Amino acid sequence: MEPALRLERLTKTFGATRAVDELDLVVPRGATYGFIGPSGAGKTTCIRIIMSILFADSGSVSVLGHRSALEAKDRIGYLPEERGVYRRMRVGDFLAYIAQLKGVPEHEALPRASALLEQTGLVNVEKKRCEELSKGMLHRVEFVAAIINRPELIILDEPFSGLDPVSVKRLKELVATEQRRGATILFSTHIMAHAEELCQHVVMIHRGRKVLDEPMAGLRRQYDPRTIQVEPLDEGAPLQVLRQIPGVADVQLTADGCDVHLQPGADPTAAMRQMAAQVRVARLAMARLRLEDVFLRLVAADARNPEAERALRDDLQGVATEGAAT
Amino acid sequence: MNRILLIARREFMATVSNRGFLIGLFVFPALIALFLLVGPRLLSVASQPRVVGRVAVIDPTGRVAPLLRSTLDSSAIEARRRENAVRSMRGIPGGVSDTVVQRAVGRVPNLTLVEHPAGTDVNAEKRKLASDDPAARLLALVVMHADATQDAIASRELGTYDLYVSRGLDEDTETTLYESLREALVAARLNVAAIDPKRIDVMTRVTRPDAVVVTATGEQRGQRRFMRFLPFMVGLLLFIGVVTGGQTLMTSTVEEKSSRVVEVLLSAVSPFELMAGKLIGQLGVGLLAMGIYLGLGLLALYSFAMLGIIDPMLIVYLLAFFLVTYLIFGALMMSIGASVNEIQEAQSLMGPVMLLLILPYMLSPMIGRAPNSPLSVALSFIPPVNTIAMMTRMASDVPPPAWQVWLTLLVGVGGACAAVWFAGKVFKVGLLMHGKPPNVRTLIRWAREA
Repeated sequence: MEPALRLERLTKTFGATRAVDELDLVVPRGATYGFIGPSGAGKTTCIRIIMSILFADSGSVSVLGHRSALEAKDRIGYLPEERGVYRRMRVGDFLAYIAQLKGVPEHEALPRASALLEQTGLVNVEKKRCEELSKGMLHRVEFVAAIINRPELIILDEPFSGLDPVSVKRLKELVATEQRRGATILFSTHIMAHAEELCQHVVMIHRGRKVLDEPMAGLRRQYDPRTIQVEPLDEGAPLQVLRQIPGVADVQLTADGCDVHLQPGADPTAAMRQMAAQVRVARLAMARLRLEDVFLRLVAADARNPEAERALRDDLQGVATEGAAT
Repeated sequence: MNRILLIARREFMATVSNRGFLIGLFVFPALIALFLLVGPRLLSVASQPRVVGRVAVIDPTGRVAPLLRSTLDSSAIEARRRENAVRSMRGIPGGVSDTVVQRAVGRVPNLTLVEHPAGTDVNAEKRKLASDDPAARLLALVVMHADATQDAIASRELGTYDLYVSRGLDEDTETTLYESLREALVAARLNVAAIDPKRIDVMTRVTRPDAVVVTATGEQRGQRRFMRFLPFMVGLLLFIGVVTGGQTLMTSTVEEKSSRVVEVLLSAVSPFELMAGKLIGQLGVGLLAMGIYLGLGLLALYSFAMLGIIDPMLIVYLLAFFLVTYLIFGALMMSIGASVNEIQEAQSLMGPVMLLLILPYMLSPMIGRAPNSPLSVALSFIPPVNTIAMMTRMASDVPPPAWQVWLTLLVGVGGACAAVWFAGKVFKVGLLMHGKPPNVRTLIRWAREA
């Protein structure tokens, strides 16, 4: 079966800047792909090329089996990073208008908008003007506009940027609903935690180049941290004794306790059991894979000094100012 | 196509349902109607207070003053004014009512003539013009020249008079004074020459008839004077339609860009579809505005029984030329809208475009007067000013040959295609550009690179 999306040696330059550099990507149907990288990595440019809003200097694009998204726009849902609404238009009219532009028949457009608004927790807003809604509510309306045509392929560009936690939660639920419906989802984010939570597969991009293209399961295996996080019950517990446990390579003290790194091939379960026997622990857990660590390891050359690494890490954690995507 | 029409419908509805637009659309004709109805009443000389005062005359000839007494008489002034008013309104179809004539006559001044013999101190009389005492103050002082009615050397031109007036004398009364003085002086001169003034009046009076325009469909009387305004009116119609559509096109594009809804739209339609839909939608707005004004104009002509002076083909050509002009200027204004972030930033780019639009409109009276002059003909073939220039020529007394009209249309269509092509390129690039607004050179670079 033809994949939902196929990019081959995609390249786009703006003046002297190479925003996308020979990018290859295949997104199979029904998959949820995270398109991740720091601000300015080239994610938005790439997405705009996929959507035929921009055109590549070289390389080829195939979207749902078509050479251009223009030929399949009715089957694509797109939530741009820079999104907005007609502020003076009524919510229902706006959604019905977008739905019709995406090929939904006129008589179906408004009922479908109402049903989706209800699903997103926005009741009795159809008659309100868009300018009367809060920012979080507007984001949900914009998301509804992106999926109102029940698309086969959904492309979300920084969908959670600028949202409050409640709205983020609502939107994640909506993404999960679309996943269950069987839609292919590609979403870009510079905040790794969102990708860790939602994606089955991640594609990392840095300075326009793809630096990683792996399923999450494979990543967990490949980048298994083999680290056990220990938080002792007693503040002065002698944590260095954990170094004596067979299979332990190193013990690093942290603010809450310590991180115990295991030797390759060591059994984490046995090691944890022995740790619990030696130190009274409040918490003992395997460290989670953090995509930002993977990313930093992959682009180590760009993060060789602590300041650069901190800036990059802040961006990937969403600490840095959002926006400014290329 | 369906998407283009959807965009066009939304664009049209969003504009025409806007209160500001509706007010703007109807305020202009309402102001004109108000001016036509109320203006004459407000400005009417009839509503001014009656001028009462004394006019002194020093007449060394002794012949003019007695005659001036009769020409300055209120009934004489009124008769003269009435005759002038009737003559100037003769061309109005259907004639004018006595009320209108009476309003034109206005309030007749009540002037008392004070005669002084030759040798009276002119300076002493002049001082009375500036006197603080209203009872002693003169309105005007007339000093006749001694040779005003008769000269010793027959070939020399006769003398005249000096007129001194008080500061408060209004222009209307001053004109009345000149007319009365002229009439009295001419009568005095004819008396001296022993010629009967009435006979002279009969022999020199030639009533000018209204020219009768003979056309294939019949004769049209009394409309030549109006025809001179027609080119200007047609140019104005075209201008209003294009500016209304083009201006709202630019504003709506800037709003879509600044509200960031544009990329949402581009997820559903191509830039070309978006541009075409907007152009068509605002074309409807321009047509609506022009249609309303055209309809009101035709209604006015119908009510004056002058509908016959408009050639129906002129309206057909007006629509065709509007379409071409709108596409050129609409496309240019939309490309400006797509390239800036705020309306204020558009001003510098709008300047040259508005100049191109206003130039032929400003020249329309000149083109109307000389429709086949080299300038008029040359302007008819230079887009984007050609359409307004040609419309003005077509509405004139001497319409251009048909081949010129078609050539103008052809050149206009070529210009429209080029403008839409240019706008399409700029639109595609500009819509997603934010930051420093571009200059004309940047726009051309975008068009080349896109």
